[in-house]
Amino acid sequence: MSEISILAIFILSIALIISIFRFITANEIYTKILVVNLIGTKIVLLILLVGTVSIEKDFTDIALVYALINFISTIVILKYYEDKEATK
Amino acid sequence: MKHHIILRIVTKLLIPLILLFGLYVQFHGDFSAGGGFQAGVIFAAGFILYNIVFGLDNGRSILSSNTAKSLMAIGVILYIVVGFLGILLGGNFLEYNDLSSTPIRGQLLGVFLVELGVGLTVSNVMVLVFYSFNDISMEKQ
Repeated sequence: MSEISILAIFILSIALIISIFRFITANEIYTKILVVNLIGTKIVLLILLVGTVSIEKDFTDIALVYALINFISTIVILKYYEDKEATK
Repeated sequence: MKHHIILRIVTKLLIPLILLFGLYVQFHGDFSAGGGFQAGVIFAAGFILYNIVFGLDNGRSILSSNTAKSLMAIGVILYIVVGFLGILLGGNFLEYNDLSSTPIRGQLLGVFLVELGVGLTVSNVMVLVFYSFNDISMEKQ
């Protein structure tokens, strides 16, 4: 079970690196926000997988908080850009 | 944000869960990760999300700036009262052993009350910081 988790962590890390490259090459701000959200979701999964490998049940709480902050920060950044374009 | 219907409904569904998670972190802090500070921040995050999506006027009608200030002070007072109760009952500052019939029950009660005070203060301070930033940006416009 733990071998599968470690393999999943490796695959997720590779996906994370690809996402970071996509973040660097993106031109539009909305693509960047979307990629940040994607990276956040991947990190939530990564925290959960690390929690299953090292048997720490507290990691689930931390993953939940991370998902919450990810959600709120995306909304706040999008609202900021919406207001900025409305005042233009 | 009048026309973002998906965002509004998702937020409506999510806010009770965020507040419930904040309460879980507060009251389960003895056994798992968490405590008053973290619970206060999560609670305030839920409230700030409400403010962002439904507008500040709606948010301020639920928790006005003055109420937040009083609740913030009540949290600190609760902490200090529990701390000095330890001295009055013949121990040190924040010594909970004499608060209840047995030392273990006293410890549980004391930590519960102190963490409640910390949680109240932190959540209201976070909301007040949010309000103050909003006031600053309103003055600039």
